[in-house]
Amino acid sequence: MALPLVYHWRNVFVRPTTTTLTILVVAAVVGLLGWILGFAAALRGSLAVASDTHKIIVIRRGSTSEGTSALPPAEFNKLSQVTGVARDPQTGRPLVSPEMTVQVALPRKRDAGRTTANVAVRGVDPERAFAVHRNVRLQGPVFATGAQEIIVGVKAAEQFAGLRLGDVVNLGFGNDRGYRVVGYFTADGGPLESEIWGYLPSLMNAYSRNAYSSAALRVAPDEDPQKVIEQIEGPAIQLTAKTEAAYWHEQLRLVRGYLVIVTGLVLIMSVAAVCSIANTMFSAVAGRTREIAMLRTIGFGRGRILVGFVLEAVLLALLGGGLGCGLCLAWLQFVGRTKDMLGASSFTTLAFEIRLTPMIAAVALAAVVLVGALGALVPAWRAARVQAVSALREG
Amino acid sequence: MSAADIELVDLHKHYRKGRIDIPALDGLSLTIDAGSFVAIMGPSGSGKSTLLHLIGGLDSADSGIIRVGEYRLDRMSERQLTAWRSRHVGFIFQMYHLVPVLTAAQNVELPLLLFRMPARERRKRVATALEVVGLADRMDHRPNQLSGGQEQRVAIARAIVTDPDVILADEPTGDLDARTSQEILQLLSLLNAEFGKTIVMVTHDPRAAAFGQRILHLDKGVLDRDERNPARPAAAAHAH
Ligand SMILES: Nc1ncnc2c1ncn2[C@@H]1O[C@H](COP(=O)(O)OP(=O)(O)O)[C@@H](O)[C@H]1O
Ligand SMILES: [Mg+2]
Repeated sequence: MALPLVYHWRNVFVRPTTTTLTILVVAAVVGLLGWILGFAAALRGSLAVASDTHKIIVIRRGSTSEGTSALPPAEFNKLSQVTGVARDPQTGRPLVSPEMTVQVALPRKRDAGRTTANVAVRGVDPERAFAVHRNVRLQGPVFATGAQEIIVGVKAAEQFAGLRLGDVVNLGFGNDRGYRVVGYFTADGGPLESEIWGYLPSLMNAYSRNAYSSAALRVAPDEDPQKVIEQIEGPAIQLTAKTEAAYWHEQLRLVRGYLVIVTGLVLIMSVAAVCSIANTMFSAVAGRTREIAMLRTIGFGRGRILVGFVLEAVLLALLGGGLGCGLCLAWLQFVGRTKDMLGASSFTTLAFEIRLTPMIAAVALAAVVLVGALGALVPAWRAARVQAVSALREG
Repeated sequence: MSAADIELVDLHKHYRKGRIDIPALDGLSLTIDAGSFVAIMGPSGSGKSTLLHLIGGLDSADSGIIRVGEYRLDRMSERQLTAWRSRHVGFIFQMYHLVPVLTAAQNVELPLLLFRMPARERRKRVATALEVVGLADRMDHRPNQLSGGQEQRVAIARAIVTDPDVILADEPTGDLDARTSQEILQLLSLLNAEFGKTIVMVTHDPRAAAFGQRILHLDKGVLDRDERNPARPAAAAHAH
């Protein structure tokens, strides 16, 4: 190791108590920062996946989400008038999928089932649903149309207890119909992965519904989705239609607000970290005035002294940063990678898988370098101002 | 091996403390031959340290000429003085001022960080300097594992590792017992005799001053007395 590094590295440990405290403060900031960056990346990932521009979600006029929408078959049938909808190459039928969603409270895995959260159960007709929701891919078989079976999104399976293959989940109006888990599905990491899917007529029957909740519709590849939306919202049909991207953007409003709050918290904590570093560096400089004067005497310039103390603070901050990344990784590993959040108006749990990627760790550590440098600025400036002669004056 | 002569002409340096004006140097003129060992004595407050600081380019005078070798320090900026110090002067302090977190060898290496020099060359120089002061076997000791005398030897090694023209020492034995002081002074004499370094040493101890070839007495910021030391005749000029 180069001598200047050795010098500053060893000096970091000269004041064990304040150094340890500072490291802990910085670690807390970095840990939370890593987590929040991972969360933001997961959110962006979800939105990026749920941004199929040719998929349109149709709900009752005035509803804000599928959960509060009702679409009687008569209304649904009007959608067959819409032009510009993609068609099934075999049957020639328009790709419009009637769907029903309900919220079901299931025990969370996170606290060993002590608390529950809402998961969306979606009734679909597999023939149409898989053609419209093109990114949904089965892992294993699909539910049989003649049996009480369901398939589970992989994120829901991660979040909730009792969703292993063969497990039976009680659904229905009276919570008395046992549906067996027969398979899983993915949706490129999008919000649908947090859902449970079953056969539409069976679930409608279980919940005594005679209206669908919504419809999902695929626009033909060469058609303008906006034109399709205008028809659906126009006087002939009078329903509300949104592209998937617009729909999820609204649903994730709460999540974004949460992100803003935590980011604010990280910022406040960063200020505390900067102050802590500054405090440590002030006492380091005060305790080493004679040493700095000696260095100035033997020819070290002010710039070198300044850079040296900034470097020392950055080393200190990086120690905290390393610990913070470690803590964040340990948290994700042992406490849980998935964070669930409610959609803005659907009260459905959306699960996000948080990962501390090398890229995110690099960003967090870059922030740490900045925190260290900011904290060092004033003390290092003071160090650079130490007069050389004070080394020779002994009293 | 190089040495510089020193020429000071009509040096004035005043300190201001509030309304009080303290004349630390009051029109001092002096020349010191290259390769000589000069001791500076005088009562406390007579301006000895101030003089040493000016010769070492640590501070600037109010007026007067300061020439060390071919350099006119009185015409140099602070930045230039800093660079000059790293190449041309070695400082020895009363309190040694070793860096506690570094080993003896690392302490000696410090001034070489300001040179463009391969690590191998640096290590070689450090080893040589520590050998000269007789501490080759203590390279990896920290200052707190060394005695006061050994610490001062490390400090001397640090002062000579850059092969400076002038060595300036302010009370180098002020914190040492009589026997250790003698050893340190013998070492300084050796640097002067063997390597031809110009040495200017401030001391209040007549036994230490006796190691100088010339003993200057300051009083109230002017040269009071200038004696040749008959016991230590000046060596033939080493310069150039
Ligand atoms: N930084 C300073 N501020 C004010 N007065 C000073 C300062 N440094 C030295 N002096 C004064 O200048 C005079 C000479 O000081 P100094 O050169 O240290 O003397 P010596 O080393 O001979 O004891 C003293 O009166 C001292 O108090
Ligand atoms: Mg003095």
